[in-house]
Amino acid sequence: MNDDQLDENLAEAARDYNAPGDVPREAMWARIAEARRQPKSIATPTPSRRVCAWPSVGIAAALLISTGIVIGRRMERSTTPPKTVTASLDTTTHRDSVLPVVAQHETTAASTDPGVVAVRGSTPERSGPAKSVAYQMVVLQHLAGTEAMITTFRAAARNGETDAHVAKWARDLLGTTRLLEASPAAEDPMMKRLLEDLELVIVQIVQYSNRGTNDPEELDLIEQSIKKRGVITKLRVTQPNREGSVGTRG
Amino acid sequence: MVLNRPGNGSICIIVPESSRLNDRRLVSRCLGGDPVAERALYDAHVERIYRLMHRMAGDADLASDFTQDTFIRAFERLEQYRGESSLATWLHTIAVSVALNGMRKVKRLHGRVESVDGVEGSPHLVVAPTGFTGDLRARLHAAIDSLSEKLRPVFVMHDIEGYTHEEIAGSLSIPVGTSKARLFDARARLRLALAAFAGDHIA
Repeated sequence: MNDDQLDENLAEAARDYNAPGDVPREAMWARIAEARRQPKSIATPTPSRRVCAWPSVGIAAALLISTGIVIGRRMERSTTPPKTVTASLDTTTHRDSVLPVVAQHETTAASTDPGVVAVRGSTPERSGPAKSVAYQMVVLQHLAGTEAMITTFRAAARNGETDAHVAKWARDLLGTTRLLEASPAAEDPMMKRLLEDLELVIVQIVQYSNRGTNDPEELDLIEQSIKKRGVITKLRVTQPNREGSVGTRG
Repeated sequence: MVLNRPGNGSICIIVPESSRLNDRRLVSRCLGGDPVAERALYDAHVERIYRLMHRMAGDADLASDFTQDTFIRAFERLEQYRGESSLATWLHTIAVSVALNGMRKVKRLHGRVESVDGVEGSPHLVVAPTGFTGDLRARLHAAIDSLSEKLRPVFVMHDIEGYTHEEIAGSLSIPVGTSKARLFDARARLRLALAAFAGDHIA
């Protein structure tokens, strides 16, 4: 007997493996209908999801505000003409004179009211950088939303759920991420890398949500992507208390 | 779209126009809250899904639970159906996931972890059986039970339930080639698992 014949015998013998009986069609339909009639708060842990989502929204809002300040500071540093730098150094000669120009600059910017910076950035001679600030504001707002989405997704996925709203949210963010990657906002190499990393993670989330299968292996891959690329860390680096180091690099 | 015949003695509501509805229209009507469309969707797919769930679970209650869970999830997520695959494939993707997750829980509860995947040696038979006695059949069923999570669904779907590799690939979100390879692997492992036993009996 060759392998083909054996396979046929195997398949034949396997036909009664866990052979199903009658399909309890009506009983199952009744239970499905009953389960669907029940409030969602019972069928799915929506309250816990809300609990998880609200801090994310708060974090996102705080991140957005703080990143606005950060942009103002960075803008002030990047747009101040050399003449101003000299003047700045001249006016701060009472300070430690061995400070590098950037550090001096940062010190000056840090002591400046962000609102004033924003007004300065909007003057006509700074229209180019102001445009850049506008792009960066959009990017940072986008980053805040992305972090909130990833956090919400992970919280839901851990409970074996795939929220339809998160799926739509992720699709929207994916489109924006791709647009931003092609915009002047991505001229900053660091930002460009972050956007690329985010795109990959969001694509995975979108695909996972579209399938709606809650496959743990796939979820693991997403988690690995998030951790391997340090996506959350990179997003959080933009917070103001860590901005000093970022600002000097940018 | 697959249409079901009424089961033995069971009541089946077949909506007359269901055969004319394509997947998207059916989904669209369901999303619009049409209970007739919802029932038509259920009727069109429940038998095949239940059969598969029963083959996978080996227990009528579990099969019912998995089938119900599949449809509950499907109705919840129907707006995520984009029509990129057939509705049957989409439903089977959910069903297989539900069944595998459910079986993992059952296995954890029963603590039975036994796999023939780790058996070493040639996957080809040295002694070929000429038939399958009752004992050998039972042994075969045990061997199928012991196939891994990756191999068993493919074997059950293809060799027992008659799904095509394309259907399996769609349901398990794997390439067709992977489905074929897994079937080959599953058969090889079953042959290997049965080899010694079959040889004894034939001798």
